[in-house]
This record gives sequence, C-alpha cells and structure tokens, in this order.
Amino acid sequence: MKVKVISRSTDEFTRERSQDLQRVFRNFDPTLRTQEKAVEYVRALNAAKLDKIFARPFIGAMDGHIDAVSAMAKNPANLKWLFSGSMDGDIRLWDLATRQTVCQFPGHQGAVRGLTASTDGRVLVSCGTDSTVRLWNVPLPSHTQDDSSDNDTKPLATYVWKSAFWGVDHQENGELFATAGAQVDIWNHNRSQPINSFEWGKDTVISVRFNPGEPNVLATSGSDRSITIYDLRLSSPARKMIMMTKTNSLAWNPMEPMNFTAANEDCNCYSYDVRKMNEARCVHRDHVSAVMDIDYSPTGREFVTGSYDRTVRIFQYNGGHSREIYHTKRMQRVFCVKFSNDGSYIISGSDDTNLRLWKAKASEQLGVLLPRERKNHEYLEAVKNRYKHLPEVKRIVRHRHLPKPIYKAASLRRIMTDAQRKKDERRRAHSAPGSIVNKPLRKRRIIKEIE
Amino acid sequence: MAEKGKKEKSRGEITQRRRRDGGEVRGRKRKSLSSSGKRKEEKKRRSGPRLPNALKRELERLNPTVDGEASDGDDEEIDSDAAVGNDVYEYEEGVAEEESTRNKRYDPVENYEFELPEDFEDWKVPSDGEEDDDENEDPGRHGRLLEDITGLSADAFGGKKKKDLIISEAYPECEFNPTGDILDGNGRISIHDLLDPLHGKSGFSKLRKDLHRMGKKTVPTLAPVARTDQERIERKAAYEQSKKDITKWEPLVKRNREAPTLFFDEDKELGYSTIGAIASEFTPRTDFEKKMASLVNQSEVVDAHKRDGARLLELNEVSIEDVKERQERLAKMRDLLFRHEMKAKRVKKIKSKTYHRLLKKDKSKAAEASIRMDPEAAKEHAMKIEFKRAEERMTLKHKNSSKWAKRILKRGLDAQDDSTKAAFSEQLSQHAALTRKINSIKESSSSDDSSDGDDSDDMSAGSDQEAAEKLIKKAKEKTLQILEGDDELPTSGVLALPFMVRGLKKRKEAADEEAKLALEEYESSLKQMGDTSKSRSSDKDAKGAPGGKMVFGAPEKVVNRTTKKEKVNNYYGDSDSESDADANADDNTLNDHTGKSLKEMDIDPSLLREEFGFSHDSVFKSFGDAEDPEPKTAYEVAYLSSDSWKKVRKSSDAVKGSEADLNVRKPGIVAQTENDPESEQDDDEDSGTDSEVEMVDGILSSGPKSSYELPSQAELIQRAFAGDDVEEDFIKQKEAVLDEENPEPEKPVLLPGWGQWTGVQKRRGLPSWMLKEHEAAKQKRDESLKKRKDAHLNNVIISEKLGKKAEKLHTKTLPYPYTSKEVFEQSIRMPIGPEFNPVTAIGALNRPEVVKKAGVIIKPIEYEDVSVHERGEGGRKGSAPKQGKVNGKNRSRK
Repeated sequence: MKVKVISRSTDEFTRERSQDLQRVFRNFDPTLRTQEKAVEYVRALNAAKLDKIFARPFIGAMDGHIDAVSAMAKNPANLKWLFSGSMDGDIRLWDLATRQTVCQFPGHQGAVRGLTASTDGRVLVSCGTDSTVRLWNVPLPSHTQDDSSDNDTKPLATYVWKSAFWGVDHQENGELFATAGAQVDIWNHNRSQPINSFEWGKDTVISVRFNPGEPNVLATSGSDRSITIYDLRLSSPARKMIMMTKTNSLAWNPMEPMNFTAANEDCNCYSYDVRKMNEARCVHRDHVSAVMDIDYSPTGREFVTGSYDRTVRIFQYNGGHSREIYHTKRMQRVFCVKFSNDGSYIISGSDDTNLRLWKAKASEQLGVLLPRERKNHEYLEAVKNRYKHLPEVKRIVRHRHLPKPIYKAASLRRIMTDAQRKKDERRRAHSAPGSIVNKPLRKRRIIKEIE
Repeated sequence: MAEKGKKEKSRGEITQRRRRDGGEVRGRKRKSLSSSGKRKEEKKRRSGPRLPNALKRELERLNPTVDGEASDGDDEEIDSDAAVGNDVYEYEEGVAEEESTRNKRYDPVENYEFELPEDFEDWKVPSDGEEDDDENEDPGRHGRLLEDITGLSADAFGGKKKKDLIISEAYPECEFNPTGDILDGNGRISIHDLLDPLHGKSGFSKLRKDLHRMGKKTVPTLAPVARTDQERIERKAAYEQSKKDITKWEPLVKRNREAPTLFFDEDKELGYSTIGAIASEFTPRTDFEKKMASLVNQSEVVDAHKRDGARLLELNEVSIEDVKERQERLAKMRDLLFRHEMKAKRVKKIKSKTYHRLLKKDKSKAAEASIRMDPEAAKEHAMKIEFKRAEERMTLKHKNSSKWAKRILKRGLDAQDDSTKAAFSEQLSQHAALTRKINSIKESSSSDDSSDGDDSDDMSAGSDQEAAEKLIKKAKEKTLQILEGDDELPTSGVLALPFMVRGLKKRKEAADEEAKLALEEYESSLKQMGDTSKSRSSDKDAKGAPGGKMVFGAPEKVVNRTTKKEKVNNYYGDSDSESDADANADDNTLNDHTGKSLKEMDIDPSLLREEFGFSHDSVFKSFGDAEDPEPKTAYEVAYLSSDSWKKVRKSSDAVKGSEADLNVRKPGIVAQTENDPESEQDDDEDSGTDSEVEMVDGILSSGPKSSYELPSQAELIQRAFAGDDVEEDFIKQKEAVLDEENPEPEKPVLLPGWGQWTGVQKRRGLPSWMLKEHEAAKQKRDESLKKRKDAHLNNVIISEKLGKKAEKLHTKTLPYPYTSKEVFEQSIRMPIGPEFNPVTAIGALNRPEVVKKAGVIIKPIEYEDVSVHERGEGGRKGSAPKQGKVNGKNRSRK
C-alpha cells in the first residue's frame, strides 16, 4: 500500500526565535488565485496613500549666515560637507549630519557669487563681487575636531582681477577652474592670472558649469539671454544660442555628457542636447517664477530646481512636469540648490539666510532597512508604479498641497497659456493655410543659434 | 606649320593669325618686335652662352629636321630651341607665356601701340629679310620712340648696344662666330639657355619642375580675412570637433537609458584574486597557528625549501623511539579490534533464546539508563520509537497483511503448531502495541487522570473487604450514572449520520439493559459482602493495581484485560506464559491461588461463582463491574481507535451470548480470530454491521419495521420546491434586465387635439414617419438584444451595464509610453507580488529603476568603449539584461 505523508524535519521548520518567520509554502498556480490583480491594485492604492502619510521631506534648517545664501558647493570627496557663501561675503563649511558649521572662511569684501571645490575636496575656490578669486585649503575631517575653537582659515591665495565675478566652477579631475564675469576666464590653481579668457560679445556671463563627463567642455549663460558652449581643447568658444529670456543657471547631466538643462527666467527649464541646439529636448514646466538654480542628481535621472517663487521642485530628467515640490512657510526666494553626492538629499539655500536639508524622496524611510523591509518597499513602489495610470492612484500620487500664492499663480499661468493657445489657434484658422507656422514650445523660446 | 606660313604671308596676315592663335604667340612676337631695347641688354648678357647656341645651330644644320627648314626664318630662335623636338617648343611657349602675362600686367594698352608700327612696317617691306631690315631700321625708330616716351636721349638706350657690337666682332664671321646681326636678331637668351648646361646634373629636374610650376601658377595671395569671420570659422570648427567628441558617449548613454535598472551601489573591493596572494597575506592569530607558523617559517626549513629540498629529508628525521612507540600503539589497537570481532562472531553464533533475551534485556536496560542519563540519547530513542510507530501505521506490517500471516490464516490457525500460533499472536499484539500507543497518548488527558484517581483511591482504601465493597459501590454508582445520564448524540461528523445515530441508540439501549443486570448483581454481591474473607479481598486488591504496565482507560478495563490475557494464555493449554510472564505475574499468582483449571473457569460465570463462593464472587463481580462501564468509555473513544470499537462490540457480545458461548464473551484477540474470522473482519468495518448483527440477534428490540419507501431524489426536490417556480421567475427577471438595459421604444402616440376637429387624425392614423421611426427603433433594439452575450444563454443574465465601480479600474486614455491597448494590458497582466511569484523571481520583478545606497558617493560617468560586439554579447546573455552598468567597471555588478 502506498501512503503519502508530509515529511518535514523539525530542524528546518523550528524557529530559533519567536521573531523568526514561519516558513510558508505557496502554490503559485494562477488558477488558484484569480484575484491577484484586484489585490495588487488595492495594494497600490494603499501604498500611494501611505506615501502621502509618510511624506516628511524636510529634515532641518541650517542657521548661521546673516545674509541671503547666494552660492553653495558640494564637496565631491565628502558626502556630508557642504560649502555655502552668502551675500555678505561669509563662507561656511557645514556638516550636514550634525547641521553645524564646521568652519568659516572670512575674507570676501562683497557678496560671494561663486563657490566650488576641487574633485579631491582639498581646495575650495570662491569668487565674488569684490573682483577677487580666493583659494582656500579645506580642513581635513579629523583636523577640524581638534581645533574647534579656532575654526577660521586663511586663504591659500587671493587673485584680484579686473571685474566682478558671477560664478565659478571646477573641472572634474583637473586643475582648472572657470570663472564667469565680464568674460569667461580659465584659471589654474597655481597661476595668479587666468591661463585663458574667452569673450564672445560684451555681455556679462552669469553662470558657468564644466561638463563632468567631458571635462574640457563647459557651458555658460549670459545676460544677453545666451547659452554658450566652450571647448578648452581648441581653446575657443563653440556655439552660442540665444533664447527669449535669460538663463539663470545650467547644469550638465553627469550621466549623459551631451545633455544639459538650463534654468530659465521664464519659469521653465530646458533640456538641450549640445549637438542640436536649435531645439530643446524637453521643456520642464511647473515653476511659477524664475528658476534661480538647478542641480542634477548624480544618478542623472532627476534634477532639482530652486525658484524665485519660494519653492524647490524635483523633475525627472525627461519629465515635463515636476515629480515633487518642497516648500515651507519660512523659506523665501531660493537662490541655490544642490543634490547630495549620494542622490538622496537636497540642500537649498534661500533668501532667509538659511540652508535647508530635504529628502530627495519625500516618504523615504531613513536609516538602516532590514532586507524584508526593503523588499516590501520595493514591491509597493513597483505596484504603485504599475497602477499609476489608473485614476484613483494617479490622483493620490499627484496631489500636493500648495501655498496659496503659488496655487493662484499656477492657475493664472494656466489661464494665460490657454488664452494664448486659443488665440494662436484662431489666428491660424483665420489665415491662409501654412502662413502661420505652429512652433512647438521646445523651439518657440529659442531666437537663434549663432555659429 | 605656323612658322612656314609666317615666312610666306604678309606681316599683316601674320599678326592677324597670331591674334587668332592666342595671346601666347602674339605676346612672344610682340616682345620680339617691341622690346628691342631690352633685347640689347640681353645681348650683352648673352656673351657667355653664345658658343653653345652656335654649336647647336651647327648641329641643326648637320641634321635638318622638319622644323629645321625654317632655321633662317624670322622665328629662328624658336627653331633653334626646338631642336630637341616639339616638347621643347611648347616649353618655350611656356616661358613666353610667362612673359606675356607679365607684359599684360604692366600695360596692355601700350602693347597695342607697339603693334601699330609693325603694321606700318609691313606695308614697307614684306620680304624675307624682314627681320634684318627691322633690325636695321629699328634703332633709329626705336630710339625716337623711346625719346618720345621717356624724354631721354636715344643714346641712353642705343649707344651701348652699338658699342657692344663693335667690340664683339673680334673674329671673322663664320659658323662658330656669328655676326652681331644674327645674334641681335634671333639669339634671344631664354632661361632655357641658362638651364641647358645644367642638364644631367643633380638637381636639374627639380629646378626644371620648379620653373614649370612657377610658369603655370600665378595665384595671388589673398588678403587676410576679417577677424570676426575668422573667429566664426574657428568656432565652427571647434563646435564640430566637440560635437564629434561628445557623440562617442552615445552608445553608453543609450545602454544606460535602456537598462531597466541602474546600479550605483558601492564598488566592492573583491580583495585578492589569487590563492597565492591570499596566502601571502596570512598572519597567524591563534596559538596553534602561531606554533605552526614558527615551525614552518624556521630559517632552516625555509632555506631547504629555497634550495633543492634535499635537506628537507634530513630535517624530517624521526627518532627510533618514536617510531617504535607508534608501531606498538597501532599493533595494540589492531589486536583489540581483532578480539572484538572474534567476540562478536562468537556471540552471534549462540542459539540460546534465553541468552539472547537476557542480552536484549541488558541492552534495553543500558539503553534506559542512558536515556535517563543523557537527554540526547533520550531524544534519539523517542525518535526511534516514533519512527517505528509511524512505520507501523504506514505499512500495517504486523496486521496479518504479510504473506506469511495470510498463508497461516488461509490454512487455519488450528492447523498450526504452537510456536507458530505464538508468533502469530505476538505479531498481532505487537501491532496492537504499536498502534495503541497513540490512543494512550491521546486519551491521556481524560482517561489517565481518572484512572490515576481511581488507583489512588484503591490504594488508599486499604487491602480489605472494604476495598472490594467500595469498588462495587463505585461500580454501582457508575452504572447508575450511565443509566441516568443521557449521552448527547453527536451532531456532526460521521457519527451524526442517521444510520450511525440509530446504531448508537441501539447500543445504548443494550448497554442500559446490561447495566440493569449488573446493578442487580451488585446488589446481591453487596449483601454477600459481609462474609468476605480478608485475604481474598486483598488478593483482588493486589490485582486492582497492576504494576509495570501501560494504563489504558479506567482501571476496571485493566482488570478486564489482564484476565483476558490470562485466559488467552490458558487457552493455549498453560504451555508457557513466557511472552507476558512478567506482565501477568499477578494474574498468575491469582490463578495459582484459585488452583483451578481455567477451562472450568471458562465454562460458565454462574458456575464459577458457585465454585469460588464468596471469595471469587467479588472478583467476578469486578469482572462485570469492569465490563459494565465499557460502553461509556467506548463512546468516549469510539472515534479514536478501532481497538476500542472492538471492545464495544466485545462488551455487547458478552451480554448477548455470554450464556451461549464463553469463547465469544471472553475473547482474547486470538481467540476471537480463531472462533470466527468473519467477526474479525467485522472488526475492521464500521458499526453498521454491528448494529445489524444486533438486530439479527434480536435480543434487543429493534423496533417495528415500517413499509415506508424512500422517495426518489427528483421527487424529493420537487416536493421541497413545490411552492415557487424558479424558472418562471428567472425568465421574468431576465426580461426586466433586458428592458432596463435596452429599453423598448415608446409606442407612437398623437397629441390629443391635433386634427381632432377635422377628423384627419382618425382617417389617416399616425403619420408614416412616426411609424417608420418606431419600426427602426424596434429593429435596433432587436439587433442589440441579439448581440448580447447572453442572447443564446437561456439560464444566464450577463449584464452589459458598465459599473461605476469598474470605471475607476480603467484608464480613460492610453498612458504615455504605450502605443496600443494590448501592450498596456499585457504590461499589467502578470502579478508581481510575493504571493504570486517564487522568491527567485520577485527581486527582478520589483527592482526599482535606480538602485543606490544612501551614503555612497556616485561619481559621474566614465567613458567606456561599448562596441557592437560587446553589446551583441550582452544581448545573447538575455537572461540577465537587468544589469545596467553605469560606469564601466566601477558600476558593474556581480
């Protein structure tokens, strides 16, 4: 006689601790579970709701400056250190973990407009309206612990130049840094004078950024509403593109060296491919006032913008609308934003003299996650992503509470764009076919490309 | 050719033709004619090369060619130069051309002026010796002309020339020394004249080529471009360059974008790659390791290793004592092993059962001791027992299912010899024991407790008649309880089935009957109790608490069982009670005490009672007492084991046929099988047969049998649902649903009053368009009804109303990246949860787009060559395209 029995060894099925999990065996035959889609939909809905509940993006503010924060710089070699410069010429080094000032770099007479650190994190370069470029020695982490009493440092070098500076950026893995001002100057650490100067037109250059992937290419934006590309290998500017409004800042995608995004005065951000400057690859809309600063996440998948409308927004690198908006009652005009080096935090500096630390994902759970927790988070995220198109889930995921002025401004903007669109449509309808060409927004704001 | 023509034709014609021929020829002629002043200067220069020219001319004369014919013509110089051939002639032309261009640059207008006098001359002398005339006249005219132009005296131009002529005439005129006229007229020196002597020397060809080039090419250098334009060009070049450079990233970026997941985890240091590297890093930590290291790293050993290793043998020497000791030890061990083997063999050969039994006992004792001492061993032992039991339950090895047992049964147990019977019974008892253990475990909670209590009662009750009295009293109480107590019938499970309930009822009645009988007996026995002798009661008492046996249920039962066993043993003719000698020791003593043959005892309880008198009356009472409560216990354990079922039946049997056949009443298991194998088979079946037996026996009232026949299923259903017509209802319901979902069109009605007065309405009826519309609507409805999914399903309603609740489970438009509905639906078809997928698949299904670790700095992208070949490989891998590498080797993931 054949008798079937279940044989389970006690060793395998006995839990060592009461917290341990019972082993569960499942039959994955789909005919046994016909409701899986419904189950997962409900889970997605719940995950979306929970995300809303747990969305606490603001971690803390860093107080210390006595004037508006005008510039910030990440330390590429150190995750938790951040430099910030203010309008009164004060430069501070912050420890993000403790949210304390580590040390100060006194010296600038006017506003600090540009800050950057070398790739090894040893040298800080600052420049400002006092027409000086200052190089600072960044203290070592261990060193700062010792002499906390005397946390002022003296500059390595001070180079006085002809005109006020508006921005500075350091080359990736190189010795060069570029300053923006009346012209673009390329400096070496060890030279008191720029090794190269570019001038294309007489207008002030207001921001400069090196391409992190391609260290010899840099882009600047000017007060003549232009965006200019330079190539250091040929020591010549390469291409200039003029838009309808000024570009306040720009940022290269660190994972896609051909792409950069420009933060424009007209509330939008424009992603460009360097090779095709006659049209933007993507227009990122949502801000209701000029975008002041922009920084890419090191993953290259999203970027953060700070705006004059007192909000910080996070965009997908290819998304037309923002994924997230951060605001607090006390945060004023945002002048600078940075993504942290690990892509999980955002730092904003604003007019209210404070730096603010945010989570890049509002509902992310901080701290060490157990593998099961992590798996569950991943699962919920995946389910939410899968059902994000369904109306209920979509509504919950998209919903944000906005400050009243921003909400009103946004609706006003919508009305205006709608009116403009309607007007264009009518004009087109009442004119000879083909006489009025409909330019897409990606091209509309571009005036011309200069060789 | 042209030269020939020139000779014959007039000057005017020549010039005309020359014009036609092109500037080159004309220019040459012009020069030859006009710039006589210059020519004179040339003549002065010519003093050097005169000799070779003359020589050439001589050579020409000696080997006249086609061209040479015209050697004395006006273009003599050309001819002379063309001595080598046509090529040279053309070459000559080249030089002339250069000259002409230069001339042109100077002043083209002047040239025409110069030509006019030529025409004039043509008119004068169109003869052969034109040149000479020209030459003769020329100085005067030319000098005048120059005078006119420059305002200088003609002497300034011509004076020198004449001087030269005079001086050069040092020798008589001959071939080798041509006259000045000849020289003046034709012998212009070209650059070729200068070049010729260099012919064949190194660098000549290069020089010639340069000359040629210079003659051909006269591209002017352009003026520098404006600075703005220049910068623009530079910028354009720079842009093109950087564009090209940046395009190299494209495949990498594309790969990253297409990867389902990007990994930005920490770069894990894999550490050492080779075993050697790992070994070299080894540092001893524990004492043992240190000792080993010190031995291994001894300088001597290391040295020996480094050389040829021969010295290792020397270092490896062992003392003789050590070797000897080791050998001795080994020998001893081997000896011991051998002895042990021999002993085992010897022991195995022993055939004595007693010996083996004793051995077994010893072993079991030792095992018990070890169990007591060692929890591990205890656990093992428990496992073993458990395993045996499980095995027994699975295989039913000891339940007459083996071939051997079947054969014996087939032949009849009577035919077997004693030992076989014993083995048979032993096997059965083993089976019982193995399966019964479960009962004991399961019952332990209820019956064991009670038995314990009873036991203690018994023990404390002293060893006298009181005990017996008490026992009987208790038995009485219990029987009363059973009589009074209404056993609730089970309401669920197998026992709730009607026939089971019936059976149970009947059995209960039987038990009640029995109990009544027993009660009477108790009464009588209690009366007799006064005279009971103490000793016998003490015996009984001793029997009441049997030691060293597993306890099953109530103590009464134990008593019963022991007696049964006793009887079984005796049935086999008192041969030997080895099998359960120790177990039944008490019973044996009892038997001895009674000193009666058990066959007698088997015959009749009433006889027995008489025989034993008072003393054994009580004992027998106790038998009855033991049996009496059994039906109750049977109820309790009925579902737990077939064994207890047996008991139930046994008890009932006992009542039924106690008088008729005692073998049935006191059935050892073997006895029963022996008597009627059918009943044994019955054991395995359910109690239905049991009840039937009872009914057949007719001892108990089975009740009057009615003539009622069971109605058929269909009838039953019909009767049950007599009141409601479900089908009709359903049809109505369906119609209602159809009407609701596809409403019938309204019947056309006319508004009252329209055309009433005139009677038009009545006459014409409804207007035709209304009727048409109505018809159309009807048709439409019919069609839509036909199209319904449940049109052909009579028993089904499929609602086609779109539910509001379902609405929120659909998207209004197709979401962005998807191009078709099917693709989108497919993308969300398969569930991704852990309940629906194996653990191995979940990770890949739920992996987010970007995997990063908090606190790990992500460096910008680094260039890495993603060639087509490599990508093809990646595609071939197929199974693991989830790995999106970001930064080449840094971001690759194992």
